Amino acid sequence: MKVQIELFGASRDFSDKNFLEFEIKKNSTIKDIKNKIIEYLDKNFIGNENFKKIVNSSVFCSKSNNIVSDNYKITSNEKIAIIPPIGGG
Amino acid sequence: MLHTKVINIKEKKLSILEAENFISSSQFGASIFFSGTVRNQNDNKSVVGITYDSHDALVIKSFEEIYNEADQKLNIKDKAVFIEHAKGYLNLGEISIIIAIACKHRDEAYVLSRYVIEEIKKRSPIWKKEHYTNNESEWLKGNPIVHEKN
Repeated sequence: MKVQIELFGASRDFSDKNFLEFEIKKNSTIKDIKNKIIEYLDKNFIGNENFKKIVNSSVFCSKSNNIVSDNYKITSNEKIAIIPPIGGG
Repeated sequence: MLHTKVINIKEKKLSILEAENFISSSQFGASIFFSGTVRNQNDNKSVVGITYDSHDALVIKSFEEIYNEADQKLNIKDKAVFIEHAKGYLNLGEISIIIAIACKHRDEAYVLSRYVIEEIKKRSPIWKKEHYTNNESEWLKGNPIVHEKN
């Protein structure tokens, strides 16, 4: 199944689009998604450790607008948002 | 009484007057207006503007949570709170956030105003990309959101 990761803040530099899209197995979790993003970054931004740091310090938000934990299971065609470290005001 | 909004700066600017209209009431004796504006210097770099990014739904949710906590944590029951945050590109001096608070007494108004801005800084998913005089730009590092269930 497919999952779309909406990009915000510093993670917007990961792509020219506003999102990343991955094919994932059923019952995949946020932890699996993080690994998918890291794989994507390794392939497309070789040696960019800063991008990987952003992923590792981010939390993720479900389509029902809740911050979810690493073992949250992704549902079919769910849209997840990556929430990098914040700093508004 | 609460008003919250994320304003797309391409459509409209933030307005202190609108904030004043919202919180104005004869039941409150103290009003505090806080506005955040774009500054020309940060970390010894000359800033020309800031792009604000926002996860709008989560930002509004965080504003509502912060407001509701004022009842429980600060025991401030009677209050009017107006919170708006800008998204998009802002020039120097433009307003990025307005927090307007009205309470019965000044002590509560000062405490609540400070509480709201500090909690927004910690919890609301808003990001800043600074633009500099040398045409470079950079997302500011920010603070990770702590997810308590992890």
